[in-house]
Amino acid sequence: MYYGRATDQTIQKRGECGGVITAVLIAALEHKLIDGALVVKRGESIYDGAPFFATTREELIEAAGSLHCAPTLSAKWIKNNLSGARDMRIAVTCKPCDARAIIELSKRNQINLDNVYMVGVNCGGTMRPEPAREMFRQFYEIDPDDVVKEEIAKGKLIVVTKDGQHKELSIDTLEAEGYGRRTNCQRCEYNIPRMADLACGNWGVIGDDAGQATFIEVRTEKGQKLLDAATSSRAVTLTDAPPEGIALREKLDAIMVKMARKAMATQFAQFDGEHKFERLFAQLDKCNGCRDCIDVCPICSCVECFTNQELVVPKDTLPPDPMFHLTRLMHVSPSCVNCGQCEDVCPVEIPLATITHMVQSSVQETLGYVPGQSTTDAIPLSKIAEVKA
Amino acid sequence: MSQAEEGMVTDARQWEPHILTFCCNWCSYAGADGAGVARMQYPPNARVIRVMCTGRINPLFIVKGFLSGADMVMVLGCHFGDCHYLKGNYTCDMRMTYLKAYLQAIGINPDRLYWDQISASEGIKFTETMHKIVAKAKALGPIANDVGAHAKGVHADGSQQGTAAFDVQANDVQDGSTDAVTPDIF
Repeated sequence: MYYGRATDQTIQKRGECGGVITAVLIAALEHKLIDGALVVKRGESIYDGAPFFATTREELIEAAGSLHCAPTLSAKWIKNNLSGARDMRIAVTCKPCDARAIIELSKRNQINLDNVYMVGVNCGGTMRPEPAREMFRQFYEIDPDDVVKEEIAKGKLIVVTKDGQHKELSIDTLEAEGYGRRTNCQRCEYNIPRMADLACGNWGVIGDDAGQATFIEVRTEKGQKLLDAATSSRAVTLTDAPPEGIALREKLDAIMVKMARKAMATQFAQFDGEHKFERLFAQLDKCNGCRDCIDVCPICSCVECFTNQELVVPKDTLPPDPMFHLTRLMHVSPSCVNCGQCEDVCPVEIPLATITHMVQSSVQETLGYVPGQSTTDAIPLSKIAEVKA
Repeated sequence: MSQAEEGMVTDARQWEPHILTFCCNWCSYAGADGAGVARMQYPPNARVIRVMCTGRINPLFIVKGFLSGADMVMVLGCHFGDCHYLKGNYTCDMRMTYLKAYLQAIGINPDRLYWDQISASEGIKFTETMHKIVAKAKALGPIANDVGAHAKGVHADGSQQGTAAFDVQANDVQDGSTDAVTPDIF
């Protein structure tokens, strides 16, 4: 575990905390470890970000820095637009949910994990663009277009405006009002991307380095290869992380996990108890059958969807037959990584991620399978666990 | 009035459970056949669907069964080690374990699903199971208790039965034997 920072001044300045990730990606590109890197590029404003496949140093520098109001997911993008990394080597910057989704897709033979370097970034949560704008207007009393930087630290959402003004409000207060992070991020127990090859982030960086360096944890051999490439060309300087820093990182993680468990309990409670099925379908029957949730879901990867069969889901009925939702839930829930994409795209605002995550956490105990955690565990129901005599 | 008609729901006030039963071709269906041949008496609440192997049962068939008005679903297969296709019943066992957890999660009582193993010679076990399951289904009450108006042919208060999607006319069932009826699902 190291503290790292980029040696190149431009990269250091453009990057969020020392520019390590940008420098590592550029070094990997220059050492021909990868053909390109999938990053998230800022669009017109901080509320606008899209996956972007960078193949040159300049493009990577342009995409440096982090965005908290652009909840994208790169896993399905790799499958759809980069042919699952079958014939190219790529690096991808990923939040823990990205990394878990990539692992789940690789287990379904949709992504070739051998060709993917996952550079993980700590994530305390993301916000949906439109509610975020409204929140800045209403609670921070600033013009959302003036915001140049936003950060989540120590339970506060800190906003920096164009004229250098700092404003901070407690996340708990904002979330009680229905703003703040997306609901799936509130429930997320995975803040440090330990399933990726490199786990980077600003948690645990203390002293003079705070905000200037990035905490780097090497998780796999591939991660070590990436870091070696960056250090050998002196693109990144490393110092060993002090034990206090490591302890702080663990502490922050523990706090976030505790908050997530609490959010899970409160959000799932709306469906618990008597008449659970009817309460679920009070929400699910709002469905207009657009199937966007299937399009964005990183777990849904069948070529021919089961719900396309007339016998399962009769066509031309609204709301769709309950079998539509029950099929989706059954197929997705054992592996749901709680990325929240389904809820983001739903035009009728069904709390889909909450429902799927609830089913996932409830079947997890029986299946003994934590989605996206290890590359070796077989996906549930894919092989017979034990043969009884 | 034939035995079958007595068993069927003729009176809306008197609710009788519908039990959707999947039988494996090689063991349980032969077991049920044996029970019929030996003229053993058992309640006629079951609607039997014969499948070549319990490993062929998609868990979603069972979910659809519940939504089509089945008050209980019973899956009967071979004993472990006896599968005609070597490990179909292991696959089924695995899926049923998951399905129970899934049913619990979506708010259907997992006790409504029953998975057991009955061999070709166990006609007695078949009748005993049938008695046991009908009693259990009566204790659990109509499926509408769990899924409300989403079950086809069932009013939300569970008062009216007899129009479930796979319901059969009394004369479709001959002498209470287990002749497979083709339901209106799948």
